Amino acid sequence: MTALLRRHPLLPLGVLFGAFLLLAPTFTGRGTQNDLWNMAFFVVLAAAWNLLGGFAGQVSLGYSAFVGIGAYTTVLLSKAGWSPWLTLPVGAALAVAFSVAVGLPTFRLRGPYFTIATIGVGEAVRVIASGLEFTGGSSGLRMPAGTFDFLANYYAMVGLALATLVLVAWLTQHAFGLALEAIRQDIDGAEALGVHSTQVKLQAHAISSALVALAGGLFATNFQYISPGSVFDFRLSLTIVLMPIIGGMGTLTGPVLGAMLFSILQIKLLASPALRDSYLFIYGGLLIVVMLFEPRGIMGLLERLWTRLVRRQVPAVAESPGAG
Amino acid sequence: MNRIPSLALLVGLGVGLTARAQDEIRIGAVLPVTGKESKIGGAYKQATELAVKEANDAGGVQVGGKKMKVNLALLDDTSDAAKSAQLVEQLITQNKSHAIIGGYGSHLVQAQSVVPDRYGVPYLSGGAGATAIYGRSKWVFGTLSPVEHLAETQMAFLDDLVKQGKLKTPLTIALVTENTEHGNDYAKGVNDFIKAHPGYKVVVQEKFELNTTDYHPLLQRVAEVKADLFLADSHLEDFIAMHRTYTQMGLHHQMLTHGARGSDAAARKALGPATDYIFASGWWSDLLPYPQVKEFSGRYKSATGTEPQWYHAMAYETTRALLAAISKAGSLEPEKIRAALAGLRLEKSIVPGQVLSFTKTGQCDLPFVVTQNKPGGKVDLVWPKDSKTGDPVAPIPPPK
Amino acid sequence: MQKLVVVALNSLLAAGLYATMSYGLAVIYGVMRIINLAHAGLMMLAAYATFALNDRFALDPFLSIGIVAPAFFLIGMGLYATLIRWLPRSSAGPSMQSLLLLFGVWLVLQNLAYSIWGGDTQSILTPYTMESIPLLGGRFGVPQILVFLASILSLVGLNLVLRRTFLGKAIRAVTQNRDAAMLSGVNAGQIAAVAFGIGTAFAAMAGSMLSTLYAFTPDFGRSFLLKAFCIIVLGGMESFTGVAVGALVLAFIENFASAYTSIPVSYQDAISFTLLVVVLVAAPGGLPGLWRTFDRRVVAR
Repeated sequence: MTALLRRHPLLPLGVLFGAFLLLAPTFTGRGTQNDLWNMAFFVVLAAAWNLLGGFAGQVSLGYSAFVGIGAYTTVLLSKAGWSPWLTLPVGAALAVAFSVAVGLPTFRLRGPYFTIATIGVGEAVRVIASGLEFTGGSSGLRMPAGTFDFLANYYAMVGLALATLVLVAWLTQHAFGLALEAIRQDIDGAEALGVHSTQVKLQAHAISSALVALAGGLFATNFQYISPGSVFDFRLSLTIVLMPIIGGMGTLTGPVLGAMLFSILQIKLLASPALRDSYLFIYGGLLIVVMLFEPRGIMGLLERLWTRLVRRQVPAVAESPGAG
Repeated sequence: MNRIPSLALLVGLGVGLTARAQDEIRIGAVLPVTGKESKIGGAYKQATELAVKEANDAGGVQVGGKKMKVNLALLDDTSDAAKSAQLVEQLITQNKSHAIIGGYGSHLVQAQSVVPDRYGVPYLSGGAGATAIYGRSKWVFGTLSPVEHLAETQMAFLDDLVKQGKLKTPLTIALVTENTEHGNDYAKGVNDFIKAHPGYKVVVQEKFELNTTDYHPLLQRVAEVKADLFLADSHLEDFIAMHRTYTQMGLHHQMLTHGARGSDAAARKALGPATDYIFASGWWSDLLPYPQVKEFSGRYKSATGTEPQWYHAMAYETTRALLAAISKAGSLEPEKIRAALAGLRLEKSIVPGQVLSFTKTGQCDLPFVVTQNKPGGKVDLVWPKDSKTGDPVAPIPPPK
Repeated sequence: MQKLVVVALNSLLAAGLYATMSYGLAVIYGVMRIINLAHAGLMMLAAYATFALNDRFALDPFLSIGIVAPAFFLIGMGLYATLIRWLPRSSAGPSMQSLLLLFGVWLVLQNLAYSIWGGDTQSILTPYTMESIPLLGGRFGVPQILVFLASILSLVGLNLVLRRTFLGKAIRAVTQNRDAAMLSGVNAGQIAAVAFGIGTAFAAMAGSMLSTLYAFTPDFGRSFLLKAFCIIVLGGMESFTGVAVGALVLAFIENFASAYTSIPVSYQDAISFTLLVVVLVAAPGGLPGLWRTFDRRVVAR
């Protein structure tokens, strides 16, 4: 237990927060619950993406494709008579298949080349979805009547968010996490040490795509209407990447902080007419400031502050003589 | 269940607030003021705000025994559908709006329209003509008549030209629509009309993405089939880009339309005389020969400095219709407002036909107007025939 | 046969446009390995600037390039000095950080345009905007032809600068191997600033030219940006001639697919994105890379 706490000092906070989320419907209004749902949704997307993007350093800008796959699978199967809950694993399975199909050719690419390829894939999927008849084309699709149940959806989304965090934490604590880290730092070195980098990347991609697709399916049930513009959008892909980056890539708490900040910002900005016209300034400015001053995001900032504080408290600690 | 003490405080505050706030009508509106739909979204904002201002300047809206001011809470959904729906929910749950004015753009309104049913709040949209939105919830109303009927009106207009002898059947059609719900509905309207009327055949039917970068491939296909009529449905930017390419390629058809586009001042500015003889169909035109239309146009122009286009007019009239329904209901209770909307007959309205009322599905089904551009920047109303200000020219004279 | 000629000429003209809007992206990526997402915002802003000049002073858009491009060159160098220069250089780092930084800049530029000009659609109409020239059985728009000529001039000019001037050689050196270039006495920081300025100036030039063809709003530029990505990837990201080749290939595929197959036109973009992915995976050096492999394997020496 103490070992767990030492490794994750913020765990008690996390547990409290999780409890808050689970109990929230008993004492908050629908507006707040909507906001919390949004936050949970973003937490899933950010934390799942972070597995491949933050820990393994493979930045994909095409994750909206998985949101869309989950959403469309849920709507199409629900319209065919399935219970929306049963459609979720199907969506996840399809997302995994797609992630492998995309990953096999593209994981050969390094760094920004991989990123560009994922942009291409994401956009191609959007265009195809807008063109196909059975996906409703650009008109989008509606869930059949009677499938809306906010409370159940809320608990499912919060549960998914917590499960995602636990899963990512567990995965990254073991050999898998070390492999991801090794790939991020030096892929050739990792290979030399026996890490099957492509296999590991594919696994990370598959797991994260499944989680994102589950979130997409819940999204479809919550909003009852989806269209290529809402789920296959490039801006969604960028948002998914933005959150872990601002919060801190490659950390467990980073994506959560990023998701929280992002959803709070969304709410505050849109609700106030004064800020409404400048929201692009604010987003853009935030991005610029973070990238310039603390690319490791909020977690990086906190870490810097923490080290400064620790240094201050223990001034007698000298630099180890042999280091450097 | 453990109630937090602050909840009691909140409830107290809430009761206090609602008690005080019963003296005002709270209307919520969610519009795409920025983002992809910002141009018309911004216009809707302007027109809605003007209608509310006029009502307030006149002392408020008569509801039951007293005059109440209108409190408009207008939010920007940045053209994002999910945000749009959540903002509507926020306006209902936090702002406690008595009624909601819907957004602009079928995909945004689609997303919004699932919300009113959950809370039983009347919702009136002036910005979506897609039929799929209406008929699902008794709380959802729309003042824009179905886009299919826009297309069918255009076909009826063309059919009438055939009867007049200006055009001769059989006529082949090149049908080019934007890849959106609006475009899909337009194409459906054309095809439905053709099924019922012999003499027309669609020889090429294509969709194009918004903001296409090069229209040559598309127009090349159109050129090859050498159709008689060119029927398109597009946003303003795409209309401008496509028509420029069309003109440069030297294409010509007996009649040409881009759905609701073509008669805007912005189109004239971008294309010059190439817009001559293009016909367009819309939900409203300032050429309608009703006295209330002239009076509205003058009033709008002096209040905002803008010449009202159809979107200003429809947004304005939508707000006016909602306020009229609330007045008719004589109460701020949602079901009463809803019933008043369902049975509303707004007389002396600026809409074609002069009476605004809703069908069983909650959507209006008003007549459409057809206008045709004439040389020299002139625009004529050519349909309905009893309101026309000039004769239609058909076929379009070939380019020199 | 006639159809073939017309389609080929259309492709050529489209390629001119595509190439012009890609040079700026290519310069910056080549020298700094930075993916400039603000490219779209810069094109948009330049289009608005051109519009403002045309509106106020009735200045022809092509002529206004003489004012707009140098102005944006300075803006580009300013952006570099205030923002890009401070990005830390680390192994996998710079490209992602710079990408997001420049995306932030793009958002700011959009808001800037909204606040100054609002969300209205703007366009520029000149006496020759709707004119076309009949040639070999087809008619070709005058603005497109002018853009094509400008593209050729840019290509020639760029290549001259790269090969004949010291600046050009320094740029090529930094592109090929930054450290080696620094060892040879090249001030890589200065070169990067100049390159960023050049890239921005080219984005501005493209924006001015685009304003003669399209109507625009602050959202303008996204579809062009994505195509430009495809083009620089196709072109191998190493030379401007490569960009021109990439533009040609993309334009040809788009036009010929539409003219000789029955693939719906709305899938046009899907073709370019699929092409992007295929090329990245199968031929990372782009077409020049393929040529080199062919050259090495097939042509015996």
